Amino acid sequence: MMPTLLVLPALIMFAVSFVKNDKAKFWLPASSFLILLPIVKLFLLPKPYALIGNYLVADRLDTYVLLVSSIVGIGVTLALLTLDKHVKVSQKAYRRFYRFFAIFWIGLTLSILSNHMGLYWIGLELATLSTVYMIKTNHTPAAHKEAWNYMIVGAIAISLVLFGIILMYASAKPILGEEAMRFDLLLAHADKIPSPFLFEMGFAIATLGMFVKMGFFPMNLWLANIERASFYPVAALFSGILESAVIIGFFRFSQIAEKVNYAHLFGFVFVYTLLTIFIVSFLIFRAKDFMRLFSLSGVEHMALIALFWVSGGTFAALLHFGAHAFLKPALFLSTGVLESNGKYRIAGALRGYHGKKGQLFWVLVSLFLLAIISLPPSPMFFSELYGFGAMIDTAKQSHHMLAMIGAVLLLLILLSVIFYRFVAVYQSMKYEGKTEEKKVYGSELAALMLFALCLIALLLPVSIDYLHTIGQG
Amino acid sequence: MGVDFLIGLFLATLITALFTSRLYRLIMWYSLNSLMLGILALLIGQELGDTAMLITGVATILIKAIGIPYLLKYLSQKFHFVRQIQPEVKVHYAIILIPAILVFTFYLAEPITHMIHGNANYVAVSISSLFLSLLLMMEHKNVAPKIIGFLSMENALFLLGITATDGMPMLVELGIFFDLLMAIVVINLLFHKEEVKS
Repeated sequence: MMPTLLVLPALIMFAVSFVKNDKAKFWLPASSFLILLPIVKLFLLPKPYALIGNYLVADRLDTYVLLVSSIVGIGVTLALLTLDKHVKVSQKAYRRFYRFFAIFWIGLTLSILSNHMGLYWIGLELATLSTVYMIKTNHTPAAHKEAWNYMIVGAIAISLVLFGIILMYASAKPILGEEAMRFDLLLAHADKIPSPFLFEMGFAIATLGMFVKMGFFPMNLWLANIERASFYPVAALFSGILESAVIIGFFRFSQIAEKVNYAHLFGFVFVYTLLTIFIVSFLIFRAKDFMRLFSLSGVEHMALIALFWVSGGTFAALLHFGAHAFLKPALFLSTGVLESNGKYRIAGALRGYHGKKGQLFWVLVSLFLLAIISLPPSPMFFSELYGFGAMIDTAKQSHHMLAMIGAVLLLLILLSVIFYRFVAVYQSMKYEGKTEEKKVYGSELAALMLFALCLIALLLPVSIDYLHTIGQG
Repeated sequence: MGVDFLIGLFLATLITALFTSRLYRLIMWYSLNSLMLGILALLIGQELGDTAMLITGVATILIKAIGIPYLLKYLSQKFHFVRQIQPEVKVHYAIILIPAILVFTFYLAEPITHMIHGNANYVAVSISSLFLSLLLMMEHKNVAPKIIGFLSMENALFLLGITATDGMPMLVELGIFFDLLMAIVVINLLFHKEEVKS
């Protein structure tokens, strides 16, 4: 019953996508809220809770990730109602977008809740393929080219993940048999894996695939280009839901790799994420449009989450993840309005709003922009404090304290570059350029309000306690 | 012995595909590559007494060796694809590059082969097939050969699954097949705009 309820909103969306009545789409935001009922129930149930045998199991971590990604799904369905007001889209393409969004949602729910490496991969692949068509909904040569790019690069990334999974499975099969696909059993028997080298090699390859999918080094610009070419809700879905499913895979694999050889795991992820942030910070500095700016900032934040996670800052990583998952889709969805007068018109983008809706819109967008660069009281401010603290704590247990302090200082410099760029963009949006009237619709404002409320909820003591309990085991 | 011969043919069909300059010929080499994979799964499955692998072998032959090549040919006729597909990597460079990839992957897989019981060298063949499929994707500008490269990559991963792990769980293999079909649906939708352009 519970698994059916969890995919019910997506199934309704899939069914509605075949209805040719244009008014049918108004049912979708209401039906998407239905997903909150089984998730609330999941929070109340004892963990781990088996949804379908040992294949789909809800624990504290995936219940949290599922809640975050579902809220993003709700927000996107709300904002989708007015997509045709901002961009040119035919009703047929609109309906098809919903159809593939539904498949995407089902795939990622499967990935997030899976306790099985194979199922995790299947869900991710399903979501990757369904995204291809969502990119192509925008009937421009650039979107068409990027859809193929996504198909090919996405397929390579996802194949690397499967390649890694096969090697990890092979490493543990002698002791666990076919059950070596299960995350919980792998974690419990990680120290008994007969071929740790094989496991580590599999982990490195799978992680490389996941990092490529999130736009890490050396594929820093591929996601930004795709998000630029497609309609803005696609970027919101990428940053809020797809990356949630990818990062939960990284969390799961790295929990096992930590037990196999922590020094190797930390070294690999540390160097990789630092290199990614180094390159991305300069790309952000040169970004000339909102989409690329937000997309590259997303890569930076995902790299920080991975870094905090392997440094033992589970709480910091999860808080950062939650805040990013709400902030980034909110910013991406607001680009529909911000770019009303052209893609590259940053100057004056926050001016020209009238009425209560307009006023509320620019205030919210301003707050989101300042929150994404970790200005207090943004949850990201606290998560970064805890994250850097965790990095120093890790260094205390090794002989690399000076190197870690150096790395933290380098990170702070790079984050300052990003901070400077965002503040400059904000000032340009608010104080430069001509004032041109822009229209804000109720549904997109409702989506932004939802994300703002969720951000506040992240800082409530009950949320903080919950995130701490995930870290404790 | 039979398995060694089939693995050799699997690799040979992929290498030949890299030199092919005609689309239908490329589809045929992909079909033969999949056929070898399917027969391999049947042979290894019979050796291990693994019913799941036998089912997978039959499904591979039906879906990958017959169904997908037929569908690809149908799509290419429907959307009038250019059938002359000249690889970007010239033949004399490819002759050097392909053995280099094979030697490199055997060297790369050397530490792993000690850890895998049974068909240890086949893992190296799987990894080299993966790199060769990537090369197939890279050496063509046209979309259709890129898709065949992607499908060959799936075959290479499948071979790795069969040889390195003595078969993946049935559920995973069926899921991979399902995803492959979904990929074909998406590719079909993308083709709608591609038409004569490519």
